[in-house]
Amino acid sequence: MGSGRITALLQRRTLRSLPTSPDLGRIFRLACWVALSLSTPALAVEPSSHGSVKGNDLDALREANRVLEEEIKLASRPRVYWLLDLSEGVIAIKGRGVELHRFPILAWHMAGGGSVAELFRLRAHPSVARPKATSGDEASQELIELQDMPAEYELVFDPPLTLFVAPPAHERPWLWARSRLREWFARFASWGRSVLVPSQKAAGPRLRLTLSREAAQSLAWSGTEGMPVVIKSAVPP
Amino acid sequence: MEVVRNGWLKKNAWAAVLVLVGALPIAGFESEAPREQEVKPSGIARKAAVHLEGLRIREAALRRQLAALAPTGSYIVVDTARNRLYVRRRSEVLLAAVASTGSGTILDYPDRPGARWVFDTPRGEFMIQSKFMNPVWVKPDWAFVEEGLEVPADPAQRVEAGMLGDYALGFGNGFFIHGTLYTRLLGKNVTHGCVRLNDEDLRSVYRLADIGTPLMIF
Repeated sequence: MGSGRITALLQRRTLRSLPTSPDLGRIFRLACWVALSLSTPALAVEPSSHGSVKGNDLDALREANRVLEEEIKLASRPRVYWLLDLSEGVIAIKGRGVELHRFPILAWHMAGGGSVAELFRLRAHPSVARPKATSGDEASQELIELQDMPAEYELVFDPPLTLFVAPPAHERPWLWARSRLREWFARFASWGRSVLVPSQKAAGPRLRLTLSREAAQSLAWSGTEGMPVVIKSAVPP
Repeated sequence: MEVVRNGWLKKNAWAAVLVLVGALPIAGFESEAPREQEVKPSGIARKAAVHLEGLRIREAALRRQLAALAPTGSYIVVDTARNRLYVRRRSEVLLAAVASTGSGTILDYPDRPGARWVFDTPRGEFMIQSKFMNPVWVKPDWAFVEEGLEVPADPAQRVEAGMLGDYALGFGNGFFIHGTLYTRLLGKNVTHGCVRLNDEDLRSVYRLADIGTPLMIF
């Protein structure tokens, strides 16, 4: 067998193994079907049920869960605590997770750096001039009542957080102005400290609360040194 | 060879192969990038939905956990700012009473400079530790100092009957919920730290509260 014959045989085998025209047509149609059937699921549109999931829902739930975790820690011990719920606009006095009293926040404003996602403890609250009882003179002794509590004041917490409480401007313009001045001064002092002593710890967030006069006085009344406070942030819509 | 060069195979078979190869990326067999483009948004949405659902389940569980910490039976709440006492069971108010709580005044010790009594009702959570019928008042030192009297050495001279009403419920450190002769002062901050009630409300509290009943004062 010469090389020419071998080549001719190979060519013949190759020709035999190659499909004929009707076969190729079937293969082509089959290929199209396979391609079409496989591509259909890949091209199908995902159900849009998840389209309603918003980032803020997640943030709100995360915040709610964080606050609940803090509350569980506090409620498992015999103590009364405050919950400042900025999303609902209420301050709740709570014990064992039970709401004992609540008052509305008329307005609030957060400023300064730092986070409020932690447990704060009341370090300083407005002092009240306590009247002295005198011996043998019980009937004439003065008392401290809710009306004696201040309606404009600041509360200082650990870790650093300052709460400026004041009634609304239209209700008590003078107290409102004094509160803004107090806040401005605190801001200025904080800035001054940061410039003079850069290594000093940050002053923390400042939270301005506008409360009715009675609510402001109630808050001042119920605050005791070391009192725990949880703040539930408002997640923007 | 002619068939190969000029026949159907040359014209159509390679086209079929090309169609197949071209269809593979659409089918998702090849090329990661286009598949990611198709799948990524829905994948994130699914993950977010799963995460959201997980957070909701966690929230429900935490709420249950917090609710489980609330008193199961009745409990007493004292609002010292408004001088009110409430007996509650869960969210139901069983009794709402006008009370008198601490005056917040101070009294100096006569012979100890710098030392003083502060007449505040303590704030926080306590529990009823003792219950008495027809209690007698064992007057503390401040009661004598306040009246300008000598503190007696004989304990028997401290006992005064009829001052605390028909019942008294102790909640620690000498503080009691008790009755009063000065009912006109109810609703005011006039006491030395105890919680005063009128006779009828005191009877109700005595009936509703047992030893161990939580007492929350704010």
